[in-house]
Amino acid sequence: MPSDNRRRRALLAQRARTAFFPVAIASLCLTQPACQLEPQTPEVHYSLSADTTAVDPQTKEPLVPRAVQDQILGSLEMLFGTPAYPSFLRTQAWIDDGYDPNYPQYPVEDPGGSGEISDALMEEIQADNAQRFRTQLAHVEAGRYEAVELPSTMPDLIREWSSMLQETPVEKRTGEFQAGARELLSNWYPSLRDSSELYRQQCLHCHGTNGGGDGPTSRFLNPLPRDYRKGVFKFTALKDKARPRRQDLFRILDEGVTGTAMPSFRRFSKAELHGLTDYVRLLGIRGMVESDLVVTYQNESAISVDYVTEAYERTWKRWKDQDDKLIALEEAVPAPTPELIARGRELFLDAKTGNCASCHGEQGLGNGPSAFTLDPDTGEKVSAYKDDWGHPIVPRNLTYGLFRGGRRPVDIYRRIHAGINGTPMPALGGVLPAKDIWAIVHYVGTLSENAHPTAQAAVSHAPSKSDSEPKAH
Amino acid sequence: MMRLILFLLLIAVPILGCWTFVRAEELGAWFPGNFSTYGPDIDALFSLIMWPIAITFVGTEVVLAWFCLRYSAKRTDKSVYTHGNHKLEMIWTAVPALVLLGIAFSQMETFGKIKFQKNFPKGEYSIEKPIAEVWASQFDWRMRYPGKDGTLGNVDDLENSFEFAVPADTDVVFLLRSRDVIHSFFVPEFRLKQDALPGHTIPVWFNAKLRPEDEQRGESTFDLVCAELCGWGHYKMAGRVRVMRKDKYQAWLSDLEKDWFTNGKESAQ
Ligand code: HEC
Ligand code: HEC
Ligand SMILES: [Cu+2]
Repeated sequence: MPSDNRRRRALLAQRARTAFFPVAIASLCLTQPACQLEPQTPEVHYSLSADTTAVDPQTKEPLVPRAVQDQILGSLEMLFGTPAYPSFLRTQAWIDDGYDPNYPQYPVEDPGGSGEISDALMEEIQADNAQRFRTQLAHVEAGRYEAVELPSTMPDLIREWSSMLQETPVEKRTGEFQAGARELLSNWYPSLRDSSELYRQQCLHCHGTNGGGDGPTSRFLNPLPRDYRKGVFKFTALKDKARPRRQDLFRILDEGVTGTAMPSFRRFSKAELHGLTDYVRLLGIRGMVESDLVVTYQNESAISVDYVTEAYERTWKRWKDQDDKLIALEEAVPAPTPELIARGRELFLDAKTGNCASCHGEQGLGNGPSAFTLDPDTGEKVSAYKDDWGHPIVPRNLTYGLFRGGRRPVDIYRRIHAGINGTPMPALGGVLPAKDIWAIVHYVGTLSENAHPTAQAAVSHAPSKSDSEPKAH
Repeated sequence: MMRLILFLLLIAVPILGCWTFVRAEELGAWFPGNFSTYGPDIDALFSLIMWPIAITFVGTEVVLAWFCLRYSAKRTDKSVYTHGNHKLEMIWTAVPALVLLGIAFSQMETFGKIKFQKNFPKGEYSIEKPIAEVWASQFDWRMRYPGKDGTLGNVDDLENSFEFAVPADTDVVFLLRSRDVIHSFFVPEFRLKQDALPGHTIPVWFNAKLRPEDEQRGESTFDLVCAELCGWGHYKMAGRVRVMRKDKYQAWLSDLEKDWFTNGKESAQ
């Protein structure tokens, strides 16, 4: 018996020995290329929205013929480029004026920009760039030019920097070259191409390539990521359902939308956020031009080049110069006196003027009588309203103290004054005087004042002494 | 031959481990800078634990390697029975127990200084008068500063998201709370990590300094991260702590207040 065992063991050992080296060598060879593989960014393309490509349910024929769809897609590419090279087409009038929306950081005419970034703002951006490129600038100061590494989300900057390096041989990199390098980094403002790259990295998985709010992650979210293509944005400082200004979009990126999946991107630099703002605007305008062209086709049965440029100019007009739509405060926020709050409560409950309670409920719990209906088929309670994107929406529970558009008094004032775009929440700006809107604002403030559910819980669960619940209130 | 290769593989692991450890600082994989007053105390505790462990690790690995060489040379089919060594077992139980006890006692002072509420700072900010309330929620940091009246929890409170601004070289006390699940307030450069528990209000303090290169600018920023896996968006809870010279902090606070009660920054550009 023992000799049998020994033979088996010897056989096993021999097999292991013969197998060991091939396996070891093969795995060594395989790890080498695996480590060098760069993650490949898949190529992305703009496409048409589901509305444009919809088919007739009966005939199964596309509502817009394929040839016209291709024409629309082609026109959009001419106007807005591709995800890898996005840019706005300049109309003849813009070229004559020296206006170029692709470069908001330059003044109009010289050297040809849109002048949307003021000097003061540019100074802020430069100060922020000094922080953002701290390590790179340190290398520049020390003359270690080859050591400067730039993030992959800045393809245009990388290209400029490497052409600077190539054009100037090592021995010619004098003080002038150093100053140029310093200027390149501290004056950086992303091109649309840079921003498209950052968008792809940070936003696409929720908002989708075309900004349709249909990225892969969106399936798991409620509310859904914004579909920019309607040009409807909820949280702006404007009235009359105006398109958002750059500042409105910037604020959303800076603060995020509290209580939803939309995060704050404040950890990025100011330049990067302003660039993303430009890119969101491009996607929004592109979507609006697309639906404009579809409507044109339906009315005229054909699309000509003139229609395309007209639609483009018409849409731009709706996005530009919205400053007069700003809901500005003429005077300071009035103090929240008990009388004002009582007046606010009255309006909140009043079915004729404020009528907030019909949706938000008498206690502001978001369960007012008109908020829900019974599904005729199943008899279940379902939300009575749909938003502009066709999804069920419920009025907010105002006692949580989480306000998506911001918790500052002026934010809530603007929500009540202009309503919330794309939702059934109505505008009261033309109906009530400012004083009354302020009364409602302050009343809404009191609904969530000390109502942090967790804070209440802390008091009842706290150990006998007020050890873990210092008296903050 | 085979045996030699296996043996080399076996000792390669601890040797590589020690090598990365020795070179960690050069490779930039060691601790980030230390910018709070009690940071060095925490690092001292770390070293206190690390050195005994490092010595034990090297010792046991050497013994292991030696055993492999010494006892694997030839195989006898006959087992040897041994009753063990009572004295040896006593030693290897008692010595680690004493070491553990030593560690337990020597960390008490630091722990008491940082975590005991009776030792909290009682200067400009205290548990009764915190600088702010820090709310963690899925997936968001919100800092709520008391407004003009100096008390938290009313209409004039100011709020800032994702950024916690504090004055430099000041004992800062804040209250940490969570709206939903467990989060953790972690600032690596301050050696500060504290869980936020729903239903609890947990006071926390620190005293931070500026980075030397930021002295002139009067402001340094440090990463604030959530160190408790709190859901799918855990990665999004990346905020900042902005440490500012006192005058800058006051200016920042009054800017926040101005922004809060006016049209806000977004009206001008
Ligand atoms: C994790 C998913 C997610 C990511 C990532 C994300 N968003 Fe959003 N975003 C949302 C959701 C959800 C909303 C809708 C919030 C609502 O309806 O209240 C939204 C809304 C918006 C809005 C509209 C706000 C308004 O006023 O209507 C803009 C603009 C926006 N996102 C831009 C961006 C940009 C730019 C990025 C990348 C830097 C980005 N988002 C990344 C989920 C995301
Ligand atoms: C027709 C129903 C309806 C009425 C009437 C209505 N709301 Fe709303 N309200 C909504 C809906 C729906 C939302 C949620 C919008 C969303 O999810 O984006 C909302 C959201 C809000 C919000 C949250 C805004 C934010 O930033 O998160 C506030 C505050 C608010 N309403 C206040 C009021 C006040 C005050 C009134 C009365 C003047 C009022 N609402 C009347 C439907 C209504
Ligand atoms: Cu968290």
